[in-house]
Amino acid sequence: MRHVYIVTYDIANPKRLRRVFKTMKGFGKHLQLSVFQCDLPAIDLIRMQDILTLIINAEEDQVLIFNLGPTESCPIKSIQTLGLPAKLAKRATVVV
Amino acid sequence: MLNEFTYCPRLGYLEWVQGEFADSADTVEGRYRHRRVDQSAKRPAKKESEGEEEKVVLHARSVSLSSERMGLTAKIDLVEGEGARVTPVDYKKSKRPHVARGAWEPELVQLCAQGLLLREQGYECAEGVIYFVGSRERVTIAFDDELIALTLERIAQMRRAVVSGEIPPPLEESPKCVRCSLVGICLPDEVRFLRANAAGLPEPRPLFPASDDTLPLHVQHPGAKVAKRGEVLAILDGDALLTEARLGEISQVALFGGVHISTPVVQELCRRGIPLTYLSSGGWFYGFTHGMNHKNIDLRRHQFRAAEDRSRCLLLARRFVQAKIANCRTLLRRNHELPLDQPLQQMKWDIEQAGKADSLEQLLGVEGMSARRYFECFDGMLKLADPLFPEFDFNGRNRRPPRDPINALLSLAYAMLAREWAVVLQTVGLDPYLGFYHQPRYGRPALALDLMEEFRPIIGDSAVITAINNGEITANDFIKQMGAVSLTAEGRSRFIQTYERRMSSEITHPVFGYRISYRRVFEVQARLLGRHLMGEIPDYPAFVTR
Repeated sequence: MRHVYIVTYDIANPKRLRRVFKTMKGFGKHLQLSVFQCDLPAIDLIRMQDILTLIINAEEDQVLIFNLGPTESCPIKSIQTLGLPAKLAKRATVVV
Repeated sequence: MLNEFTYCPRLGYLEWVQGEFADSADTVEGRYRHRRVDQSAKRPAKKESEGEEEKVVLHARSVSLSSERMGLTAKIDLVEGEGARVTPVDYKKSKRPHVARGAWEPELVQLCAQGLLLREQGYECAEGVIYFVGSRERVTIAFDDELIALTLERIAQMRRAVVSGEIPPPLEESPKCVRCSLVGICLPDEVRFLRANAAGLPEPRPLFPASDDTLPLHVQHPGAKVAKRGEVLAILDGDALLTEARLGEISQVALFGGVHISTPVVQELCRRGIPLTYLSSGGWFYGFTHGMNHKNIDLRRHQFRAAEDRSRCLLLARRFVQAKIANCRTLLRRNHELPLDQPLQQMKWDIEQAGKADSLEQLLGVEGMSARRYFECFDGMLKLADPLFPEFDFNGRNRRPPRDPINALLSLAYAMLAREWAVVLQTVGLDPYLGFYHQPRYGRPALALDLMEEFRPIIGDSAVITAINNGEITANDFIKQMGAVSLTAEGRSRFIQTYERRMSSEITHPVFGYRISYRRVFEVQARLLGRHLMGEIPDYPAFVTR
């Protein structure tokens, strides 16, 4: 079962920040500075937590993971946008 | 190993004899917690300071021990002790279960085996400890005679199962299956259901997800380049970024025509076990790259043995052909605008004939006849076959090269199916090149062609009908050159999307009654074929829609 997560982070050191950013690109869509929208099954959530825990410094950095609920119930619909339209991700086969 | 075997003998056998493995959230979390257990040895243990200094003398992590007499090897998470008295400590990621003996049987047996090994080394070892990371509790387990006897019994049972070479039967209606990571490989309820010939058993529980978590990536843009950028694959045209695809969400990569790919990408795909296939721009299957071959040699041995046996080949081949004709018939019945009594009746007769055929050659004849009847009615399923679209004039199947648009689409759809099946078969551990109905010929994935028969109408033809009837593909999407018709790059991309949508669509399984996507159906069919070849289920249940 997939859930939609919003992951945000505050990283104190630029080197770790880049590594967190690069890792997060593998798990979700980059929505804003330090904000990702992820659509993950339980197994990938744990993988993500695992990798992030290794990168960050627990004394200085912070990562917040918001669980919006099961993907089936379309929780992204509840996201309101003001200003520029948000480019939220939807899962589909990639054909280029 | 002993732990898995005690949990479920079939799980132990699958993992440790046949080399099957699948990750679930639980196994990944276990590894994640465990890495911290093994690593924490680097940091000085704070507890050992001051007063406790004299008490704890031995404090060793990840200790590997083995005993030839007992035929056991263990890796003990932590050994604590003083002098000759030691205690093995095993870490479990879960919370402490509230059961009488302090832990479940698999954990008790595993710990006791570690204790026995320590005793073998001359240590005194009267008890062990299980540390439950989830609830941060230590539970002390005494190695009494009862537990030791149980452990020795389990070891002996496991050895017997391995020597016998027969896979233990699945558990019955067990709640253990629900969280078992191998449930999609073992198919406990499905195997039991098909074995009992559906007599009185409840329908299988939908134990695994109805649809796949990962989806294919198709690159068909002429001259595109695939590169790795961290955790994503970037698809570039020159320097312009076309799109990015997250590695964790890709089930397979298909490259059509002249697409470039870098070695780091190939290595990463192999490492993650994502198959990479190469096709011509028209979808002709050249081959694929896959990580090291599947470990389940037992399965392949059974496949080769069955392929040697003409009568078994014939039985399987009949099933494939019967299911194919039945599915063609259903497709006609559902989509043809006119009631077709005569052809449908004839096809019904063909199904009976296919069931009686006593050689592969005869079967081939029946299949050919039936296919001709089917394709004669095919255009009746296309809604746009009117004067506005003279190009969609379809008079029977032709190929190499296809001479009209419909045949071009059908060829591409079948090529996609063949590729899909070759990949599925390879991933479940069968050899795609050795078939039962299609005989091996150089470079032809015969088994993939066998298994795709029944899916030609319901996936391939159906995708073609959808694409045309919905106007997703129009006359402008084709190029005609020297009598051959092919799709433009854009038309091809759109058709691949239609096809993939069909693959992702969820249906009610005709035998098992649960919701499942076609993509999953392929995997289940391939695994069931494996179970049939290994003699676990009497018949291969070909997929026939209702």
